[in-house]
Amino acid sequence: MTSFLRKRIISSAIPLVFVVLGVFCLARLTGSPVDLYLPLSATPQQRAEFSAAHGFDDSIPVQLWDYLTNAAQLDFGTSLRTGEPAGTMVLDAFPVTLQLAGVTMLLAILGALLVGSLAAYRPNSLIDRIAGLLSMTAASIPDFWFAIVGVLVFGVGLDWLPTSGTLGGPEIWVLPIATLLIRPFGVLVQVVRGSMVGALSAPYVKVARSKGAGPKRVVFGHALRNSITPVLTVAGDLTVGLVNGAVIVETIFGWPGIGKLMIDSILQRDFAVLQAAVLLTAVTIFALNILVDVCHALIDPRVRQAVPA
Amino acid sequence: MKSSVPSSPRRERGRAHTVLALLTIGTMLLTSACAVANSDAAGDAGSADGRTLRLVLTQEPPTLEPCESSLTATGVVVRSNITEPLVERDPTSGKLDPLLATGWRQTKPTTWTFDIRPGVTFQNGQPFTAKDAAFSIDRAVNSDLACNVDGYVFGDEKLEVHAVSPTRLTVTTEKTDPILPLRLSFVEIVPRTTSTKAKVRIPIGTGPYAVTSWQTGVSISLARNENYWGKAPAYPRARYVWRSDASVRAAMIDKGEADIATALDHTSADKGNTVAYPNNETTALRLDGREAPLNDIRVRKAIGMAVDREGIIEALLGGLAKPAAQLVPPGVVGHNDDLAPVPYRVAAARALVKQAADDGVPVHRQITLVARNGMFAGISEVAEALQYEMDRVGLNVRIRMADTATHLQYQLRPLPRNVGPVALLIMHGNQAGDAAFTTSQYLVSDGPQSTFGTKELDRRIAAADALSGKAREKAFAEVLGYQNETVAQYAYLAHMRGLLGLSPKVRYRPDSATGDEMRLAEVGPARAGRH
Amino acid sequence: MTDPADPTGSTDPTDSADRPSGAAAVPSRQRPPRWWLLLGRDRAAAVAAVILAGVFLVALFGRLFIGDRAVRQDLRASLRPPSLDHGFYGLLGTDVLGRSVLARLVDAAGTTLSIAVPAVLCSLLIGSALGLWAGYHGGMRENVAMRVADVILSFPSLLIAVVVLYVFAPSAMNIVLILAVARVPVYLRTARAESAELRSRLFVDAARTFGTPSRNIIYRHILPIALPTLLTVATLDFCFVMLTESSLSFLGIGIQPPDVSWGLMVAQGRQYLQTAWWIAVLPGVAIVLTTVSATVLAAWVRLATDPAQRWRLTLPRKRRGNRAAVPSEMIA
Repeated sequence: MTSFLRKRIISSAIPLVFVVLGVFCLARLTGSPVDLYLPLSATPQQRAEFSAAHGFDDSIPVQLWDYLTNAAQLDFGTSLRTGEPAGTMVLDAFPVTLQLAGVTMLLAILGALLVGSLAAYRPNSLIDRIAGLLSMTAASIPDFWFAIVGVLVFGVGLDWLPTSGTLGGPEIWVLPIATLLIRPFGVLVQVVRGSMVGALSAPYVKVARSKGAGPKRVVFGHALRNSITPVLTVAGDLTVGLVNGAVIVETIFGWPGIGKLMIDSILQRDFAVLQAAVLLTAVTIFALNILVDVCHALIDPRVRQAVPA
Repeated sequence: MKSSVPSSPRRERGRAHTVLALLTIGTMLLTSACAVANSDAAGDAGSADGRTLRLVLTQEPPTLEPCESSLTATGVVVRSNITEPLVERDPTSGKLDPLLATGWRQTKPTTWTFDIRPGVTFQNGQPFTAKDAAFSIDRAVNSDLACNVDGYVFGDEKLEVHAVSPTRLTVTTEKTDPILPLRLSFVEIVPRTTSTKAKVRIPIGTGPYAVTSWQTGVSISLARNENYWGKAPAYPRARYVWRSDASVRAAMIDKGEADIATALDHTSADKGNTVAYPNNETTALRLDGREAPLNDIRVRKAIGMAVDREGIIEALLGGLAKPAAQLVPPGVVGHNDDLAPVPYRVAAARALVKQAADDGVPVHRQITLVARNGMFAGISEVAEALQYEMDRVGLNVRIRMADTATHLQYQLRPLPRNVGPVALLIMHGNQAGDAAFTTSQYLVSDGPQSTFGTKELDRRIAAADALSGKAREKAFAEVLGYQNETVAQYAYLAHMRGLLGLSPKVRYRPDSATGDEMRLAEVGPARAGRH
Repeated sequence: MTDPADPTGSTDPTDSADRPSGAAAVPSRQRPPRWWLLLGRDRAAAVAAVILAGVFLVALFGRLFIGDRAVRQDLRASLRPPSLDHGFYGLLGTDVLGRSVLARLVDAAGTTLSIAVPAVLCSLLIGSALGLWAGYHGGMRENVAMRVADVILSFPSLLIAVVVLYVFAPSAMNIVLILAVARVPVYLRTARAESAELRSRLFVDAARTFGTPSRNIIYRHILPIALPTLLTVATLDFCFVMLTESSLSFLGIGIQPPDVSWGLMVAQGRQYLQTAWWIAVLPGVAIVLTTVSATVLAAWVRLATDPAQRWRLTLPRKRRGNRAAVPSEMIA
């Protein structure tokens, strides 16, 4: 197991370097931040001073080298916008997104297992059809639209929930989580249902049935266990996709998470923060992928041999 | 390949571990989530009692450093709330009012003397003297902090500042500077214990409110400064939050989660909870006269005629603007009262374009209409309307919606090369109140935000700038009229108005400076009876 | 090892035993029923097929009928609610610029599909080819391909799209490219998993022994088996691409007006949700209808093309409706 893990981690470190290089170069292609941070009437000399002070007048390779040597010492630069260390800003924002994503995925997986197996219990029954239609619809609603409708209906119209923000009791979590939840939930219900229907016609289920296990026990005892594997895989990928959702949700609801930080730092050409944020997200995604692999390997010994590297 | 049988003991154990791990992670997340949510609950509950003024801005201030307060996002919180300048400009009359200085006069051609208000203390209890004023000016203008206000107001100018006595300050410039007090109205005063090596994130000032806490990304809380030298503000506490979506800001006002919201959108805001106010901003298309077909004045004038200003204002801007005929709104020195908006005449515009085409002007060359996302509410619809209207008179236009940084590349010299003819949608705010600021930026042929001009126009602008009083007003008014007739670099759209969300519970009258400086001391609870 | 967004969970190890190994595994050789008869038996799939066909027809030919109505503005006719008073094109009301929402929906159908279809096809082709190749050969090639997938997946796709579209102008072409690149890893990983599993199968070994070039083995023997899974992933991705395009419009960097897509209509209409619901709701309904239809139809195609599962479709409706979890005829 440890050698599997070690190989997996080493082979993941190489892509990480490419992520750093990629975001560094892409960011610089979006143009110089000088105009954004100086008054419109700034003189050319002031512009030159600003560029020199922040190292924008060096060539890209020189800037990259500076960045890499500093990053190796865990110095990720200073935000142009706030003047704070980029590393600190990113670490402050990260837990917010992690909590949002964690709670969302937990609810999505549990909910999908429940609804999906109910649906698979009687394929083509009314419940199955309603669950199928609802989950497919949920997976195809634009999230920002859902969020704003949610604010207008539940925040203003019905007055049940706060409109936005992070100040308040547990009810402030409802709308952001619901917005993030709809797509993973919709997809996962279909995954659970699909793999359950498949599992229910598998030989071991027949064995269980022939031994006299009731239909409930067959579905929730035997088949459900075996559909965990694809659910885990898809859930891992959907969690990665949650970063996209987090950008929208955090922008609309005013949550100080890493999605909002990233989009703001793109708009403000705050390269240091963008780089640090993407790096941290990438590391997290790698960790998540490894976690999923480890879970697979724990569940299925065959995977351990099949994994490349 | 055999299908896996779930009773293998090894697998069973592995899966049990996984499930256990998942459950543990889940529980941890849920509990920590509740912990985060609840930590702020107390602060939030305090807001419902009407003693906290709750404001929602469009974005979080990047910093509260006073010497950066010429940045809108910073200034709207800091200026006149946390820190104060020596003098302030009345946004309505344009006059300078005393604040931390009680009087000022030009004692030598290059020297101004200020009388410092006695008996003022900083929020940390330290008394305010001329030394602090001298320190603050030095810090903002002469230090290596690269303060935004330095570049914004003073350029390369170096000032020599002396505290002659605790209540007297002299400021000496290299050249005669008749508007030095106006410039100093941008310098916020901080105590002399403030760092000169680094910018401060949370400042101390003499203002009516002091910062009590700043939860990064969440809120900024202020508390009333009980030792304030002036009239005590009505609300003991104030709290800023920020939401970037206008419909969410509007929803917060409608729901009563906020008392004041900036930059609302007429489409999503409830009419009863908003106040419109002129914000001194003017929108126009800047036509790059160096590139065909925009290098032909007939084409530029045709664009002016093709724009349906009334229709755009009525349908897209919620009727909250006035058709414009020049870059400065009424009230600015040099505004030309005689200029009327170009009438909307499609046929005449089409004829002009055809005339130009007959003379060999390549009117079908594609023009790029560049507009900035979020410049004002309804910007993308306005861009579409302009594109359609320009297309209709025989031009070929495509839209490029840009973010602020990209838009600035088009707006400022050096202008981007090889981008073809550009019609740039600009929004110009003349906060200084004098047309000279506009002409030097937008009209002179080498102005930082001008694409071209004529020698004659440059000459007239220089001549007008040397004048003062009534003659100055008249000369600048003539300059604006002359540019419309013979240069026509701009197709004007409208003098804009801002929309402020205001809960029925509070009373506040926004003015043209509200966007840059929102004085919380002027906000009070609504009188009984107003609902 | 990973198989994202596959609703039928075919990489579940329990499932692979059921899957026919190419054409060889079909139990009975009788002629399968005609596909349209099968489609007629499944009402949901039939409705989905009709809707999808309609959407494609509108996307292909709609613009011939609407003329310039999708862009013709009339500021005096701004925000008319849906009604019968203003002719056919006023049926669904007008937007803020006084353009017919119906005509814009038709125009947007073309743009939306001309982004979603090429983007999905590109990522499907590139990802599947790379994945099958990598999975078949294994070793270094597989490793490199998987790490490339890791790199792409670890960029938050929406943000990278924003950055790239700031660098290169947000044209339809660039949007297609960036969305395609962002989704390549999904197919790559799915295809690799399938191919890696199949390469040790007997029929592949046999082909190899006869000296068939690996290109042909992948194309003739592995691709046909992996294809249903890949196509299912592709239909789900169709949905993802449309939604991402919409999110890009929300961030102000998607399709540029005067071109219009459903996503852009939803994004622009969100300000008018309280005053003019039809601007944002109707294109949203169009997105949901199209993607749900695609998903339903994909599930049906999967069943219909899978000889081991096709029997499910041939049953009379009544019996299917009341069937228990495991049909009695399967427990034999």
